[in-house]
Amino acid sequence: MDTKVIKPEAEGRGDRTLKIVGTSPVRPDGVPKVTGLARYGADYALPGMLWGAILRSPHAHARIRSIDSSKASALPGVKAVITSADFPEQKYEFVGPERVAINFWHMTRNVMAREKVLYEGHALAAVAATSKIIAEAALRLIEVDYEVLPHVIDVDEAMQPGAPLLFEDMITRGIDPPPNEASNIAKRIEFSIGDLDAGFAAADEIVEMNFKTAPVHQGYIEPHACLARFDNKGQGEIWAASQGHFVVRAFTARLLDMNIGDVLVHPAEIGGGFGGKTVIYVEPLAAALSRKSGHPVKIMMSREDVFKATGPTSGASMTVRIGVKRDGKLVAADGVFKFQAGAFPGSPVMNATMCGFAPYNIPNVRSVGYDVVCNRPKSAAYRAPGSPISAYAVESVMDAVAAKIGMDPLQFRLVNACRTGTPTVWGPKHAHDGCAETLKALLAHPAYAAPLGRNQGRGVASGFWFNNGGESSATVHVNEDGTVVVATGSMDIGGSRASMAIMAAETLGIEYEDVRAIVADTASIGYTHVTGGSRVTYATGIAVVEACRKVITELCARAAMIWSVEKDQVSWEDGSARRAGAGKHEPLSLKAIAAKRALTGGPIGAEASVNAGGAAPGFASELCDVEVDTETGSVKILRFVVAQDVGRAIHRSYVEGQMEGGAVQGIGWALNEAYVYDDAGHLLNAGFLDYRIPVASDLPMIETVLVEVPNPNHPFGAKGAGEVNIVPVMAAVANAINNAIGRRMTELPMSPPKVLAAIHTAPGK
Amino acid sequence: MGGAPVRVVLISSHSGHYTGGVKEFEIEARTLLDVIRVLDRRYPGLGEHLEEETSVAIDGEIHEVAYFHPVHPGSEIYFIPKIEGG
Amino acid sequence: MAKHHVSATLNGNDVEFLCETQQTLLEVLRDELHHTGTKEGCGTGDCGACSVTLDGRLVCSCLVLGVEARGKSIQTIEGMAEGTSLHPLQRKFLEHAALQCGVCTPGILIAARSLLERNPDPSEEEVRFWLAGNLCRCTGYNKIIEAVLDAAREMRGG
Ligand code: FES
Ligand code: FES
Repeated sequence: MDTKVIKPEAEGRGDRTLKIVGTSPVRPDGVPKVTGLARYGADYALPGMLWGAILRSPHAHARIRSIDSSKASALPGVKAVITSADFPEQKYEFVGPERVAINFWHMTRNVMAREKVLYEGHALAAVAATSKIIAEAALRLIEVDYEVLPHVIDVDEAMQPGAPLLFEDMITRGIDPPPNEASNIAKRIEFSIGDLDAGFAAADEIVEMNFKTAPVHQGYIEPHACLARFDNKGQGEIWAASQGHFVVRAFTARLLDMNIGDVLVHPAEIGGGFGGKTVIYVEPLAAALSRKSGHPVKIMMSREDVFKATGPTSGASMTVRIGVKRDGKLVAADGVFKFQAGAFPGSPVMNATMCGFAPYNIPNVRSVGYDVVCNRPKSAAYRAPGSPISAYAVESVMDAVAAKIGMDPLQFRLVNACRTGTPTVWGPKHAHDGCAETLKALLAHPAYAAPLGRNQGRGVASGFWFNNGGESSATVHVNEDGTVVVATGSMDIGGSRASMAIMAAETLGIEYEDVRAIVADTASIGYTHVTGGSRVTYATGIAVVEACRKVITELCARAAMIWSVEKDQVSWEDGSARRAGAGKHEPLSLKAIAAKRALTGGPIGAEASVNAGGAAPGFASELCDVEVDTETGSVKILRFVVAQDVGRAIHRSYVEGQMEGGAVQGIGWALNEAYVYDDAGHLLNAGFLDYRIPVASDLPMIETVLVEVPNPNHPFGAKGAGEVNIVPVMAAVANAINNAIGRRMTELPMSPPKVLAAIHTAPGK
Repeated sequence: MGGAPVRVVLISSHSGHYTGGVKEFEIEARTLLDVIRVLDRRYPGLGEHLEEETSVAIDGEIHEVAYFHPVHPGSEIYFIPKIEGG
Repeated sequence: MAKHHVSATLNGNDVEFLCETQQTLLEVLRDELHHTGTKEGCGTGDCGACSVTLDGRLVCSCLVLGVEARGKSIQTIEGMAEGTSLHPLQRKFLEHAALQCGVCTPGILIAARSLLERNPDPSEEEVRFWLAGNLCRCTGYNKIIEAVLDAAREMRGG
């Protein structure tokens, strides 16, 4: 609500006068979204369309002895039944970068179980029929013979010798020499700098604590859904809500053994993703059913399916130890982070190990991570994946350390805040500021000095996230009337069309209303990586600005032709071409040049594709006030302030919206949300009634402070804004509870029974 | 090549397989392509690993690996595990 | 079994449809009447994305059977604007950037209109409690609450 903008001394191009950047115009796709006409993944239909339904495992872990679908196939109205036999086997190899290394052997098994089902809800067959009701009835006719196996879900238990193994031959990667026994530990990671033992030896005070967190779901309101139309000639189309239609195309083509160019993916509007829609679930199944039946097939997941079979993030078990000098200087830090990967390797533990200590200048650090498979759905990215989990542990210990040496927790962080040149645990030095600025913003905020009442407490915490860059494409076309269409390959998940239109209008020097921004399908624009990692405003924004600059060059050339002067005599200013020299000549507006486009060479437009580097990381520092009901253990959030370095806000309201939304997701993670399993490995709360995400009446207005330390690598100074806001939240809430009741909450969620139990335990233990 | 040497550090945990554990190098280079070529000549296969499986930090700025990035005398180049967001 | 024949009004227009006994009003609206503005977030009455009014009463259409709409007046998001002019709530949602992904928006708009019909001058707390059955995962609710309060102010003529 109460929004503050802090602009540190203008640096680089930061002081340029901007007309549209930083304002909050109405988004170009707004009207269809308030009138119900926008089409999301589930809103597409085609003539002759069939409904797909998916058979899911009732067991947490079982061998599939056989699947008999003959009765289902014989049911009138059923047009196709598929199992893993309809997908080619994939080679066992990790391809791509380490943290996100994809193993298609795993992916095809996650989409459709082969030898075993590895979690309750694991897909193992699918049906297409003329109605939803028939499709559901057909599922009940499929006979599966299971050999139920012992299962394991908790990360510490999964790491024990003798734990039930998900993959009987999986040897831990990242240990030299490799262990000779199989285990559930897919990978070990270690980063370190300095001399850890010497660092701790030099410390005056050391605090060590253990933490546990529960798996939580991204909780997007739109369940996964898609429509597919494939023919048996090897071509097809998909309408899907995803965070990246190019990724849907690549993965689906691979799992179906098709050429990428033979699959066309249309970007449906997406009803939230938060990382969870960067991977595929239903798309290859709908495609295979369509290919087999010869009809378009639509699949919609139920909310229960979403909880049971799509990406929660990891639950974790962590130990963090921090050593400090009496004057407040950090000297050593050690973290061990064990993350559930879910049924297949690939938790975000590497990010956790890298981000946890990143806000601080610590000379001696070791950060170790374990990626551990267990019988729950495979983890998927969730907002700054991994970082909020390690931050919960690190920032709780930081709070305890500050208390131990009697320092103000924000001052303590500020003394140790990283700056440009501070070494990181992963090797290179930080290349950007922003951490200290968010801390200073919070120190200066009136909330930090506001009085607290009985059973109330205040907590603060900071966080770091790598914002991403990478591959993006954009086209800019000047229409006949001088208006402009900007197309990009980035799915719009939270108003990015508006940001793209702002950057284009600002670059071209025209009105925002004269620019329309759209999201193009996979055949109409160059490859663009997912909408994730807070990369769109940065990388796709750079592509848009580059395309606009090319258009300006062309507009100047056309103006030069009209004026019969050399091109270098023409410059572009405020939306018009101007002639050098005497000021007699009327400038030529974009509209005027567009009107003469045919006479000067035809339509005017340009495409730009980039692999954008130099994305600056994001920092956030946050404050939380709570009131604890000591009768019930319930925690009320009284006040929450997010101070985040956003580089420069392009669309102010949507940047605030990211900060507000991230804070609230974190509050849910802190206080309520958790996957709850019974002894058989069944998820007990696969619905929004029992998996309770924050509702409007739980919350105060979230207060935002936009700290703007521009990134000189972006034309307007933008840094990603989508993710780091969630990183400090759980620690800020935990620290506030500690401040209120004198108890450290070392397990998430901090639900009423746990808080009550803590209240009834002696303080300090 | 003519440029002053740059310092190259391999952080990615798999890189060591190619180099027998060696992690730091001084290389004469003007672009990232030079760096990758030199390393691949010395340790066959390392080039592809760096291209496919790492990001790079050049003087602290993180980029996806791309040939055209200029490197300067005294630059610090870290090949690091790639980060993916949500 | 034969399908049921149901007559009702949808956003003021007469409609007739055939539906199975177990089909929900939400499914009828989306799959039979092709009004996909009403969204399914859960199908169990927990998210409010499917909010519509039935004879003026705010309901989760996923908890109502299609046959129950017989003879009733159904109002959905598609009927909220009058011709080309947006309802003040719709306008304020756009001005306040009260939607990110927008999938919760139709349900929240319908619920908010229902609130303002009953209480033209709600407090922030009243808005928060009225909308507690409508989940939004993107916005943290700030801008939704602000937009509703601002629309109420405008509709009161202030
Ligand atoms: S879909 Fe009806 S309440 Fe969620
Ligand atoms: S705007 Fe996405 S759920 Fe509300």
